[in-house]
Amino acid sequence: MRIVTVPRDGVPVTDARAVVSDPALGKSFAVQADVVVVGSGAGGSVVAYEMAKAGRKVLILESGRYQPSASFTEHLGDTMTQIYRDQAGQFNTTADVLFVEGTCVGGSTVIGGCVMQQPDDAVLQGWADNYGLKGLAPDKIQPTFDLLGEQLNVRVNEAHEINATAHKVIQGCERMGYSWKPVQRNVKRCALTGHCLAGCPSDRKMSALVTHLPWAAAYGARLFSDTHVTRVMIRNGRATGVEAVVRDPDTGNIVSNMRVDANVVVVAGGTVQTPLLLQRSQINDRSGQLGRNMAVQPFVQIMGKFKEPLYGFRGALVGVQVDEFQKSDGFLFVSGLAEPEQLMVQGEQGAGDEHMEYMKSYKYMAGINAFSLDEGSGSVEWTGDLINGSKEIKWNPSRREFDNITRSAGLAARIFFSAGAEKVWLPTFKKLEAKNVFELDDQLSQVDYGINGMYTYRINTFNSHGTARMGADPYQSVVSPDGEVFGVSGLYVADSSLIPEPMAYAPHWTVQVLAKYVADRIQARASSHFVS
Amino acid sequence: MSKTTHTPAFMAGLEPLSRRSVLRGLAVGSMAVTTGCSRLFGRKEAPEALEYKHLTEDEVRTVIKLTGILLPAEKHGLPSALNDVPTVKNVDTMVGQMPKQTRELLGLALWVFENRPMVSFKFRRFSKLDDDKARDYVLAMQEGAFFERGLTSTLKTLITVNYWRDSRTWPGLDYTGPVTETWGVRRLGNAPLPRV
Repeated sequence: MRIVTVPRDGVPVTDARAVVSDPALGKSFAVQADVVVVGSGAGGSVVAYEMAKAGRKVLILESGRYQPSASFTEHLGDTMTQIYRDQAGQFNTTADVLFVEGTCVGGSTVIGGCVMQQPDDAVLQGWADNYGLKGLAPDKIQPTFDLLGEQLNVRVNEAHEINATAHKVIQGCERMGYSWKPVQRNVKRCALTGHCLAGCPSDRKMSALVTHLPWAAAYGARLFSDTHVTRVMIRNGRATGVEAVVRDPDTGNIVSNMRVDANVVVVAGGTVQTPLLLQRSQINDRSGQLGRNMAVQPFVQIMGKFKEPLYGFRGALVGVQVDEFQKSDGFLFVSGLAEPEQLMVQGEQGAGDEHMEYMKSYKYMAGINAFSLDEGSGSVEWTGDLINGSKEIKWNPSRREFDNITRSAGLAARIFFSAGAEKVWLPTFKKLEAKNVFELDDQLSQVDYGINGMYTYRINTFNSHGTARMGADPYQSVVSPDGEVFGVSGLYVADSSLIPEPMAYAPHWTVQVLAKYVADRIQARASSHFVS
Repeated sequence: MSKTTHTPAFMAGLEPLSRRSVLRGLAVGSMAVTTGCSRLFGRKEAPEALEYKHLTEDEVRTVIKLTGILLPAEKHGLPSALNDVPTVKNVDTMVGQMPKQTRELLGLALWVFENRPMVSFKFRRFSKLDDDKARDYVLAMQEGAFFERGLTSTLKTLITVNYWRDSRTWPGLDYTGPVTETWGVRRLGNAPLPRV
């Protein structure tokens, strides 16, 4: 009988420093594995665990650095510099939409707000009917949601996890007659620090750092950080491994070149990074859909100022959601007010004395994040050579998407006014605020769509999906219903890029379910991939 | 008709000095006094004296000026954005870690922001404007065309994030900052292996 022991703390990681100091590796080295997983976030960690548990020799490659949870400082500014993609500066080509993404061991699961939502049955049934994804029909996939929910300790917020910000949202909803409910989160005994976005130093957030990665390691999976995969090696229509460079995370200098020979390659870099890698690898994309159909689920944050000090940044970051409009309009509202630094990307805070007064209102503020459903018309493209090329993320709101954002911002503002807000700051590049509902519409009407909606709303996205969509038709989809890239045997995708169409739900839980589903499909086809 | 001016005897010798020369002299004098005072009272290094590794000299001038305009923190009982909190140095560090493409865009943005006032402020660069005019310029840019709004918001975000990230600014907001250690929250470590 095999004894499997999970490390008490942390994850065994080979980082750039270890590579440099290991004479056996040197400037160039090769490794063999059954399965190489690119990316260690929500999708990659689950696949790695499942494959390692099944007895496969698994290697995980993560481009970001390893930041053990014990080293988290709860300083958002420092965290953004170290483990957010491009220091929380990953933008679209017009530099007005922020794509927030973690780039570290554990990926975005480390910096997320822990909101876990399961798409409505109608959404999953739609995927089954419209894209031939029969395995994702509600009755088939529900057990996997349940399993992952148990593994990640997903549960509904209790009363003590509803902070002052959330209470204002509840108050507003009650007066407006809107339906609300506590959110479900993947947290164990939340310490109510409010620093989710800076990583959880006490390991209460069930991120990949404390769940699937150490579990995978317990089954023998090996993890390299600081390792940027440049391309997937493909021979005769079959994936044979990957090429990568190991970079010093502080200087960016390449310290070693790496080659991994593997029977199966699983790409799990997320909505932005996965299509970039597949494009660099020049896969034969018959559908022409690789990097396209990106849904961003844009969100803006509406800030309300109340008469009494709320200290709305204390307690659990996300308390409640407003579900009144989720099915009907595709709007999702969640309460939340993070650290002071985060306010800088949410609206226009004035300059000089006005800015200082705005910041001094911090303790009187509450925030609502207003997400809206988009049309999935974004794209991601790699340009230039393998090492020094660059990405282009294209998405600007269409007129309809712009109107949706305006409407969701207006609803969120009304919730705060109903809860007694003295003032609401609107999430715009131009400084706009309203002191009552009568001013609100007038202020919102000043936000002019202009050219492609550029520099109108301060839009963020944390939930983008769909750039390598899954489906049965190889001329419409990039990835088969098994998760395998059409035309390349042994090359799988297991992340948010699989999601076939825009959805109005936080995708974290779905991504982990899809990863487990893909891992099961790989196992089901083991005889065609593995010798034994 | 020419106008005759009579200079008092005690001012003899000052006539050749233009107004600009007087101002320059005043500036040099006040700089000397400031330097002396700052040494006397142990003031920290002025931002101009710090070493910046990633921003160019011109960029540093623009960032310092904009920091002063955006964040008049001392007036509001908060640590100075130029002398207490190393805002500009923080910006410099962040710039050092930017991808090449982003860095190039930022350089362009700073150049445009610095030189945009040449059109409307009599060929003066932003960093050479007096504070009132510089403030007017920033506000006008914020209300301007979409690219002006974007440019201003980007630079404002860069600077203000690098001020408010400093824990010395937080007591002024009644923001407690990190609490896990203060509260003695126990670390749970890794989750146990699932049973299934």
